[in-house]
Amino acid sequence: MSAAVSARPAGASTMNRIVIYGLLAIFAVIYLIPLFVMLVTSFKTMDEIQNGNMLALPQSPTVAPWVRAWGETCVGLTCAGIKGYFWNSIKMVVPAVAISTLLGALNGYVLTKWRFKGHKLVFGLMLFACFIPFQSVLLPMATILGQFGQFGKFLYNSTGLTFGFGNPTVNLVFVHVVYGLGFTTLFFRNYYEAFPTELVKAAMVDGASFFQIFRRVLLPNSLPIIVVTVIYQFTNIWNDFLFASAYAGSGDVMPMTVALNNVVNTSTGVVEYNVNMAAAMIAALPTLLVYILAGRYFVRGLMAGAVKG
Amino acid sequence: MAFLEIDRLVKRFGATEVLKGIDLSVEEGGFLVLVGPSGCGKSTLLSMIAGLDTISDGEVRINGRRVNELHPSQRDIAMVFQSYALYPNMTVAENIAFGLEMRGVPKAEREVAVAKVAETLQMGHLLKRKPSQLSGGQRQRVAMGRALVRDPQVFLFDEPLSNLDAKLRVDMRTEIKRLHQRMGTTIVYVTHDQIEAMTLATKIAVLKDGVLQQFGTPAEVYNNPVNVFVADFMGSPSMNIMPAAIRSENGKTVVALARKDEDDLVLDPGPASERLGGSIGQTVLFGIRPEAITDHDGADRNARTLVDVDCHVDVVEPAGSDTFVVTSLGGKHVIARMRSDAAVKSGGRAPFSFNMDKAVFFDPKTEKRVA
Repeated sequence: MSAAVSARPAGASTMNRIVIYGLLAIFAVIYLIPLFVMLVTSFKTMDEIQNGNMLALPQSPTVAPWVRAWGETCVGLTCAGIKGYFWNSIKMVVPAVAISTLLGALNGYVLTKWRFKGHKLVFGLMLFACFIPFQSVLLPMATILGQFGQFGKFLYNSTGLTFGFGNPTVNLVFVHVVYGLGFTTLFFRNYYEAFPTELVKAAMVDGASFFQIFRRVLLPNSLPIIVVTVIYQFTNIWNDFLFASAYAGSGDVMPMTVALNNVVNTSTGVVEYNVNMAAAMIAALPTLLVYILAGRYFVRGLMAGAVKG
Repeated sequence: MAFLEIDRLVKRFGATEVLKGIDLSVEEGGFLVLVGPSGCGKSTLLSMIAGLDTISDGEVRINGRRVNELHPSQRDIAMVFQSYALYPNMTVAENIAFGLEMRGVPKAEREVAVAKVAETLQMGHLLKRKPSQLSGGQRQRVAMGRALVRDPQVFLFDEPLSNLDAKLRVDMRTEIKRLHQRMGTTIVYVTHDQIEAMTLATKIAVLKDGVLQQFGTPAEVYNNPVNVFVADFMGSPSMNIMPAAIRSENGKTVVALARKDEDDLVLDPGPASERLGGSIGQTVLFGIRPEAITDHDGADRNARTLVDVDCHVDVVEPAGSDTFVVTSLGGKHVIARMRSDAAVKSGGRAPFSFNMDKAVFFDPKTEKRVA
């Protein structure tokens, strides 16, 4: 009797497990199939793609499509591969991530440890920035960037240098910093909310200044949230297409996402699916790499921020 | 002139006053303990001395210098925090040296100073560790080292022992006392533990609801509490306080305590007789510490007014070193502290010796001391 009672829940839980893991496996497969197709296609020859099965493994794997995507494929009218645009993206994403993360940390520090009257309102307004749709700022931002361009011209005429004003890459960095500030501030404020204030007080008694406390006490103890912010910002900025196409949508200054779009849309002869897939993989690699390297901290950091605030 | 002077200090948060005009002073080398229940404003007071909280009104002077407007780092103070507040990313040595580094002391000098402090606190072997690798007691030591290294004019301690376990707390208490005796630096110490206050202080300030209740030496505060709150707060087990009638019998003033199913217990109030003269015919609160009620042979030999009476024994609590005997007087439980081998049994009767030299009397309405 007692054996039967205890056996029933055990059997039920095994059943539950099978259902749960079965469902998880199915969804994982559905989610991974596109990636799988991209990957195998990028290693196939054109013949194989045209005659074979989409899901089949490559018969004679070749890296030629990757080489072609990187160095030879046509983006619009120039046929020098996507490598230049890859570096464009790097040049944009690194400063944008660094600046927005640093400013977010500084905001979080002030909003939790140096509170002033109305700090809640300021934080609320910064949060509001997270909910503004990209599209609604396109035109106003274009006007501002136009002004920057004018100012750059003025500087060039008077000093011979533009100091970056009017440079499309600099423009994109500016846009992404402004747009990312809401999110980075949110992350850091919630993290620092749970950060012991006594440490800041101890540093004050020790004679550390505002920035010394920030640099020597807060920042070295913020690794988890820095990782979260960097992953989040890196992914968003690297993958952004709207701002990139609006403010740097043509010529040599295009970021990777716009260039990839142009690779796929270039209509000269046959569509080279394998090259397109390789280019797409190259475009996705940096974000993938960031996740793999820092993903462990990602979950940990999200949790740390979630406890309080 | 005192070394640290706190003058009519007021702290307001909006319309609420949390400190209502505190006056305190400590001599150089003194050990001031701020004690009181939680929410009494003692930690706020300490923060204001440190400069971590602004001063709404009044003045704080250190060595004759007004420090109200000075940044914490310029007040020449060091503080030990309740949570220790060690920088988790720095080693013990870096933690201790941080204050010196911020003040621009050259590296070589810093190392000498750290080594000296490490020797004083016997923690040379810990210098290369991170705070996360230390035990609670060791962290406490590092926190003290960080304060010691700067050789400030005033040390501020904010409940430094409250995170330690009972045994370690007693050890560290002795350590702090020893350190104070050797260094002779002025200390302000916040605690809610009245035993810590008694053992460490040269002066105790008892606070309640932002008002200073009593300020004096530990003996004064313990033996001559100014009101019921102080009497009750200081001492463990706390003072027995019960209603008593003051009467005149044969021209002598006596204290009568109601007993259940028995005649009133009548006591000679001893040295308080004269001052109780005005209260004849009234009810007052009679306070007497457990150690002033003993078995006859355990009584203080120097006591001048010793009253022996038989009382009913409700409960006996042997505590090893003493035996606490509980009886009922004036409708309250009254604890007597007898020797551990006193022959008392619960349910029976036993002789109690009241040392009325130590008796105190309070007005039942104002709760202030009357005699």
